[in-house]
Amino acid sequence: MLLLTVSPFLWQLSTSLKSLREDIYTGTPSFLPQQPTLSNYAEVAETIPVWSYAANSLIVAAIVVAGNAVGATMAGFALARLRFRGAKLLLGLFLATLVLPGEVTIVSQYVTVRSLGLADTLLGVALPGAIGMLNVLLMRTAFQAIPSEMDEAAIIDGATAWQRLRHIGLPNVRGMLSVVTIFAFIGAWDDFLWPLIVLTDPDHYTLTVGLQYLNGTFSANPRLIAAGTMISFLPIVVVFAALQRFFFRGVEEGAIKG
Amino acid sequence: MRRYWAGLAVLVTTIAGCGLGGAEPAPATSAGATGGAVRGKVSLQTWALKPKFTDYVQGVIDGFEKTYPGTEVEWLDQPAEGYSDKVLTQAAGGTLPDVVNLPPDFAVPLIKQDLLLDVAQADPKLAGEYVPGGLDAYRYPGRPGTYGYPWYLNTDVNYWNSELLTKYGLDPDKPPATLDELIAQARTLKEKSGGKVYLMSRRPELGDLTNAGVPILSPDGSRFTFNTPEAVALLDRYRDAFKEGLLPRDVLTDTYAGNAKLFNEGTVAWTTGGGNYITSLATDNPTLAPKVVPSAAMGTPPLYVQGLSISKGTKNAPAALALARWVTSAENQAAFAHLVNIFPSTKASANDPFFSKSDGTNSGDAKVLAFESLAKAEVLQPVQVTEAMTKLVRQQFALAISGEATSKEALDAAVAKCDELLKS
Amino acid sequence: MTHHRWFTPWVLVAPAAVWLFAFSVWPSINTVVLAFTNAKPLGGGHFTGLANFRRVLDDDQLADALVNSVVFMLVCLPLLTVLPLLIAILVERKLPGIAFFRTAFYTPVVASAVVVALIWGWLLDDRGLVNGFAQWLGVIAEPVPFLTDRWLLLFSAISLTVWKGLGYYMIIYLSALGNVRRELHEAAAVDGAGPVRRFWSVTLPGVRNTMLLISVLVSVSALRVFSELYVLSNGTGGPGGRDMSLVMLIQLYSRGFTGHLGYASALSLVLLVVTIGPMLALLRLNRKAA
Repeated sequence: MLLLTVSPFLWQLSTSLKSLREDIYTGTPSFLPQQPTLSNYAEVAETIPVWSYAANSLIVAAIVVAGNAVGATMAGFALARLRFRGAKLLLGLFLATLVLPGEVTIVSQYVTVRSLGLADTLLGVALPGAIGMLNVLLMRTAFQAIPSEMDEAAIIDGATAWQRLRHIGLPNVRGMLSVVTIFAFIGAWDDFLWPLIVLTDPDHYTLTVGLQYLNGTFSANPRLIAAGTMISFLPIVVVFAALQRFFFRGVEEGAIKG
Repeated sequence: MRRYWAGLAVLVTTIAGCGLGGAEPAPATSAGATGGAVRGKVSLQTWALKPKFTDYVQGVIDGFEKTYPGTEVEWLDQPAEGYSDKVLTQAAGGTLPDVVNLPPDFAVPLIKQDLLLDVAQADPKLAGEYVPGGLDAYRYPGRPGTYGYPWYLNTDVNYWNSELLTKYGLDPDKPPATLDELIAQARTLKEKSGGKVYLMSRRPELGDLTNAGVPILSPDGSRFTFNTPEAVALLDRYRDAFKEGLLPRDVLTDTYAGNAKLFNEGTVAWTTGGGNYITSLATDNPTLAPKVVPSAAMGTPPLYVQGLSISKGTKNAPAALALARWVTSAENQAAFAHLVNIFPSTKASANDPFFSKSDGTNSGDAKVLAFESLAKAEVLQPVQVTEAMTKLVRQQFALAISGEATSKEALDAAVAKCDELLKS
Repeated sequence: MTHHRWFTPWVLVAPAAVWLFAFSVWPSINTVVLAFTNAKPLGGGHFTGLANFRRVLDDDQLADALVNSVVFMLVCLPLLTVLPLLIAILVERKLPGIAFFRTAFYTPVVASAVVVALIWGWLLDDRGLVNGFAQWLGVIAEPVPFLTDRWLLLFSAISLTVWKGLGYYMIIYLSALGNVRRELHEAAAVDGAGPVRRFWSVTLPGVRNTMLLISVLVSVSALRVFSELYVLSNGTGGPGGRDMSLVMLIQLYSRGFTGHLGYASALSLVLLVVTIGPMLALLRLNRKAA
């Protein structure tokens, strides 16, 4: 089971290490490269400006992560813990967006971003995903899980909504917040078609788009593509490893903080 | 992830369906209406040529800027994947570059929307310098004019795995040249290999019907007509071959590229591909590449065309025209063809001995075969056939071959679905 | 009774609401309008009344697509609501090397679709690992057509979906488990409740809201399945296209320069109607359980 889950990763790693003398698409794939080499990685770095593409991707991911962390947290809190007119309707709309397929709308989204003057900018790439509706719903669920007695006690103490968000809400949703961060980061990092459409100047390309240069007409080398994919996979592993301890924070620290 | 796959689909069908044709010759218009001095800024968009051909393209651009002082070329190279989406948003957003590389199936919808410049009107020498097949690809029935400079051409030739053929009692020097021979040899291969190796792994497409003499469209282009008895007979033959176990089951869901995948794995001994196929195989599976022998395609070979079109919204038509003509000139195309096995669309290149003489390698043989095939190559699938139609046809053909529907039923259903798309 | 100024909630939801309207509601309205036209990506867009909807009713592939989507949902819903929770409980423990396991479960989520297609091809096709192994064992004489039979292809795609979904939903469950209070577990343990009883009386109620959200997400994404079926059928949707999902149909008609956006929009509305049903049912079920 475990082998099955990591197999795509292993295959990619093994392909990226195979030398030019070794077959790749065979009937019985060999996971161990016969002549392991790092030259594919060197060639990727020579062929395309990996670092500046990665920096662009990071900028986009940072905007998206920040937008989601702030926007989804605020909205999730309001929807879970505050009563106001129209809350139900709004919640229904958030849910409904999960249902509507976006296939038909990509051109009209491009027109929106362009009319904001953001075509060919990293901000334009980041904008539509900067507050994900799913993330709002996830944060709302997390806020809901906080026992209401804690809120009530705070209200009696005269705490404002903002104070309750800061001192009761936030400390107790760190787990979900890190989940949202991971999802937002991976979504922004992996997206391909949208940045391709928004960006024109190759200097602005994100990593996923830039890596496509390895897949040129008459010149695709699967080893380089695999090496490129491994490079782009690394930051995801780092983010995941750095944040996963937060999923367990509640358990490890014992009680809910008040 | 969803977007990703959609992009890939476009890519695959683009490779599969570059064919266009059946256009009437446009009247040769005289007089350079778009005359004027060639200077200033002009943008050029290519498709997935960086980084392998960066030096070549940059050299061509430098030559242009030197020949026309005062010009400045802004070169954009778009990634392979998602190109149709990119061009579509550029077209919808009014941001098409001045000179843009469009395969005919991308160009036709833009022609219909009047987004491209009629280069035949602006450049009267066009018909004299480029091969007719290339020019035809940039014409659309009912709209006079030619909307692109043909750039490089390619076609399909057959590739055989000589090791597998020899091992299982077939002669790689006498590959099958007709469907009958193909089926007969497929039977031999199946029997001798105990069913482990296949010869055939391609499902028929609309181009195969054209080759069998089936008219795909009515003469006025208003409805599809490929549900003829000849088409039924062809599908029946494939169905029987499939039932006999002469084709792997994968053909039911494979795309055009699927057969190349099986060939790479050594499961299948025959595939079709462009003149550059062995070169790319040498990268993917270096031990297989030397064992491959090419032969000419069965029937009329398909013609694949790439071209440079000019946006109607260009602010610098004189420079755009000059640049497109420059990039597609006989010398520049010949230089390109020396780097990779593709073929110039200029008449002047026809006598270049480079293309008619092999260097003795199997890749060189394939180049010569492809070059000779180009002379009789035709665009086998009409321009009206869209991506969605191709897919619906593919589904119905698979159903017929699996035997779950009769060939007649499948063809009727495919025609009905295509007609509906054509009309709406 | 409220304890905050009337505008506070609105200030909090304002950014999300702006995004909601700009990038979701507005395009959706657009979709509804397009459904009554013959719009193409370039040009078209004339009002055609109910023509698209009449075509929807005549589309024989739609029936297959609906059946596929519903089967998909019925199988995925229980599996992906329950299995990730169990895995989350499993990997929640502090064991040496457990971090590796957590990451391993998550890798399919970020794996590139091309590679996933390759791997599953090697697993499931006629000459693949599964068939090879079964033949070697002598369980089967002929290879099982996992990737070309109408129903087997669907179930292969379901396996792929579950495989990919485990890690994704596991993460959400993990964070929810973190919010279940430890004292409750301890108190239950003091009362003599075993791990199974504690699961029912402490863990499950603690993650109920998350479970509801996940079940909604699972059913919505099952009804909207695309990439798994697309990958395994090489984009063809199986022989006769009978393994197409609704989203594959929408994609088929909306893509490219000649996309039939009007018809694709009408299909989107069908999908919307189809998805609202199970969602309301789940919400209702939850209210009853509460």
